[in-house]
Amino acid sequence: MSGQHINVIGLSHHTAPVEVREHFTYSDPEAQDALRALAHAPGADEAVLLSTCNRTELYVHGDTDAGVAHAYTLLEQRARGIDHPLGGYLYERRDQEAVRHLFRVVTSLDSMVLGESQIQGQVKGAYESARSLDERVTGPVLSRLFEQALRVGGAVRTATALGVGAASVPSAAVQLAKKIFGSLEGRRALILGAGEMSELALECLRAEGARSIVVANRTEGRARVLVERAGGTAIPFDRLAHALNETDIVATATSAPHPMLTEKLVREALPRGARSPLCIIDMALPRDVEPGVGGIHNVFLYDLDDLHQIVDDNLARRRSELPRAENIIDSAVDEYWNWYSSRRAGPLIRELRERAEQRRRAELDRLLARTPDLPEAQRRALDELTRRMVNRMLHGPTVRLREAAANGDGADIVRAARHLFALDEDDPEQDTDR
Amino acid sequence: MVVWLHIGALTGYVAAALVLSRALAGGERTAPRSAAALATAGAALHVAAAASYAVRYGELPLVGLGPSLSTFALLTAVLSLAVLWLRDVRPIGVVLLPLASVLLTLGVLLGIEPAHGEMAFRGLWFALHVLLTFAGYACFAGAFAAGLLYLLQHRELKEKRFGRMFRFFPALATLGQWQRRAVELALISLTLGLAVGWGWTTRFAPLPVSHPKVVWGVISWAIILGALVAQRGSARERRGAIASVVGFALVVASYLVLRLTESAGDAFL
Repeated sequence: MSGQHINVIGLSHHTAPVEVREHFTYSDPEAQDALRALAHAPGADEAVLLSTCNRTELYVHGDTDAGVAHAYTLLEQRARGIDHPLGGYLYERRDQEAVRHLFRVVTSLDSMVLGESQIQGQVKGAYESARSLDERVTGPVLSRLFEQALRVGGAVRTATALGVGAASVPSAAVQLAKKIFGSLEGRRALILGAGEMSELALECLRAEGARSIVVANRTEGRARVLVERAGGTAIPFDRLAHALNETDIVATATSAPHPMLTEKLVREALPRGARSPLCIIDMALPRDVEPGVGGIHNVFLYDLDDLHQIVDDNLARRRSELPRAENIIDSAVDEYWNWYSSRRAGPLIRELRERAEQRRRAELDRLLARTPDLPEAQRRALDELTRRMVNRMLHGPTVRLREAAANGDGADIVRAARHLFALDEDDPEQDTDR
Repeated sequence: MVVWLHIGALTGYVAAALVLSRALAGGERTAPRSAAALATAGAALHVAAAASYAVRYGELPLVGLGPSLSTFALLTAVLSLAVLWLRDVRPIGVVLLPLASVLLTLGVLLGIEPAHGEMAFRGLWFALHVLLTFAGYACFAGAFAAGLLYLLQHRELKEKRFGRMFRFFPALATLGQWQRRAVELALISLTLGLAVGWGWTTRFAPLPVSHPKVVWGVISWAIILGALVAQRGSARERRGAIASVVGFALVVASYLVLRLTESAGDAFL
């Protein structure tokens, strides 16, 4: 037991560029195959594989050399086609550092976007995928580790403002629109452009409950392709003015070299000084909307700089929450490590008690053999008495061993106890008795 | 005892207002719930103070400037509680709670004691008249608070200032909705209060049309009606917010003018 460790081997956006990381992206079936292979390898008692677009990590509990070596081999098998040596991209953490690493991952402290919430679900998915395998690749150590990690993720999210505020351009756009309309449920939206950013905006608005999403594009065919894929209604560009008058939110992301929404067009499209608010989010570069549009009554115009300003502010606020999150993680690592260390004393205590019981039994049998006329009631009383004496004598060492292991002194104390109680030697008295 | 309970209530309101102000100054995104708890404790002490006053003087604190201000402050605080326990609109308390605190402070400084003059019109209907009227003013104070926050948030959004107020204040639509509801409630409550007052004074002690109470009541009613009319039609939210803010300022100003020119002694007006 003393030779066992928790290890994590992997690579992430911190150590490897995307062209390397993409070689290590595992689908769920691929991840399960890898775990099966690892489960049959010697030295790896338990394993979980976490694979996201920003990281691939193998958590292994077992014999350090054999288990970890096999984990490396598994990763090397995915490294075909990479020019540079894999070792330069990989990192390895052991024991408390591995535990801390997982807790930092699940709380998004190690993520590309600090405070992102997706990682919690990805860690949960990886753990559940490993747990669902028939081969027992997860056991008490990694199960407890991942379950505690998920709790730590929830605790950090609740106790800090790490996940508060938009951290991407589309979510900043949604945040702005919500500050005007409260909820986007049932709001009407118009999207200009049919590219990737337009699709992202459409998905964001749909997710927030926007009703009636209209897409307008210079090439109507592309708008139709987008709405067929992501929903909504495509309209020809010449109906833009009419659509403007019937919308609450406009998101623009065309690649046009000149403004698509001029002040003149918007003024003519909107009823004079009389309408509910119109929020225009211009995500294009060069801009799709003339700056003068923002001066129109009840029109709120924002461009990429405004959105980036919100994102930067939110990220700065998230970073200010880091010390609180790290404190929660420190406590959780200590808690887990105490539990893990105390497990190390378990087999020793079991062995010690077994040895004591053997000796008690041998002595009692020897005594009872010499006094065959002893009544049954007294035999039982002697059995009970000796059992209690042994238990009393072992209670102190048992408690001390557990405490020492929990305090991190497990390995040394276990070694000392084995020596003091001669547990590595055969029991000479038992041999004699035989 | 009455005064100490009032001071206790004032402490609760001030503490709640400070909690909200601190959250605003700290750039928080949500107002802390502890503000609601503190204000509730303050309101509970305030109710106890009113009960203690009733036991001691044999009447509710409705007559005299000090007691009237205390009751007005209590109703404003009760309205604050309504918003403070709702997460979305909790920041409105950042205006309402200081307002309740100022009213209560003035009441305590002026003395929470009954007016000396005998009044012909007392009893249940008088209490109803005063409570309904003050409830109307408290609701209009709520409309003022929501309207003020609306105008500030509108300015932040229009001028692209994504600072503390942008983060802390509720959405424009939410503020507009609350502001409109508060004006509607204010008009209903004030209309009923004035109707009860008019009905019973004409029966027992008719007041001349030029009496400051009548003048102020009619001016206030007309202003609130105007604020409600402003809520109609297009772009109504911003216009309604301006009407509520300006209207509330006019109601306060008209009271002060009447109070200063009519020498109402220790009566409310």
